[in-house]
Amino acid sequence: SGELYCSLPNPRNVHFESVNMKNVLHWSAPEGTGDGVLYKVKYSVYGVGKWIRKPECRNINRTWCDLSNETSDYEEQYYASVKAFLNGMCSDWIETTRFNPLTDTKIDPPMVSVSSTEKSISIILTAPEKWKRSPEGESVSLLQVYPGLQYNVSVLNKKTKKRWWFSISNNTLVVPWLEPGTAYCVSAQIHVTTPLLHSGFSKEHCIATLKDKTA
Amino acid sequence: TAGNKIFQFGPCKVSMSMTEIRSGFNAIKTNIQARDPIRTLSILSHPHSLHKVKPSDRCCITHHLFNFYVDKVFKHCKTEDSYVNRKISSIANSFLSVRRKLGQCHEQNQCMCGQESTEKMKQILGNYEGLNVTSAAIKSLGELDILLDWME
Repeated sequence: SGELYCSLPNPRNVHFESVNMKNVLHWSAPEGTGDGVLYKVKYSVYGVGKWIRKPECRNINRTWCDLSNETSDYEEQYYASVKAFLNGMCSDWIETTRFNPLTDTKIDPPMVSVSSTEKSISIILTAPEKWKRSPEGESVSLLQVYPGLQYNVSVLNKKTKKRWWFSISNNTLVVPWLEPGTAYCVSAQIHVTTPLLHSGFSKEHCIATLKDKTA
Repeated sequence: TAGNKIFQFGPCKVSMSMTEIRSGFNAIKTNIQARDPIRTLSILSHPHSLHKVKPSDRCCITHHLFNFYVDKVFKHCKTEDSYVNRKISSIANSFLSVRRKLGQCHEQNQCMCGQESTEKMKQILGNYEGLNVTSAAIKSLGELDILLDWME
């Protein structure tokens, strides 16, 4: 009768991977199954009664599914679930743990731009944007999502290897009283106190202070 | 203490060890939420989200929510796991001290609940009473991040 017999091993490690609230469901293939396994995906808003199928992830052979669009309201929490099919057999639906986009996302480092004078360098930091549906879509900075967002900034004197640390809330920093004609390297990290989130450090941006004209 | 944050709820200003509470909850979140099999019901966020509460009602509804968690949730959340129980009691103690401060200010300032948030609290209690006590308490505890996210 074409009834599917659900004794296929289950997909494993079904979980959300989220960066800047781009929320992608990932999983591993069932144990011992080679090629040819297909998958279906559904998701639900926690507290709301129904599971919703994701048509773009129906009968797919890849092991991920982008659910950013469906989980973009970060005032809600979500579950997602995956089912595997192979040769007329299927697995159980395997669910994620409850996903909270606000606390469970990872944040990219800030963009860093630097300029210099003889004795100072100016640093401008830009927090990454929240994932958006399309390039034309409205840009929302993570600063708006996390009002308590701060920046940890490291400034290294390449000559003396001396390093300073700054923790700032606004996005600009001027470091005064530096040595003319000297290279300094800047790196920055985003830090949110609650919920506790922090990005990695940006790559180093190096710049030299101008030479002392009077020397 | 480190990680204390000052919250303004209408006329009431309360300091709260948010980092401590958040890290305590994060340590047991997966464990507690895994004990709650009901996906189709939320105590706090459906059918109406906390985020729809008017700013003028924040003082009153926060006061009632802290009473709810202290009086109806934490005491019914005993588990067989001593680590989880310790984390729960640490969070409960933080809530107790905030409730006391908030209660005093709430009395002095007569924070009034508007009709909307009275409805909201009725709905929360209704959702809670729709389950047996242990399930309702565990579900409410599993939704603590919903409350904390809203407060922040």
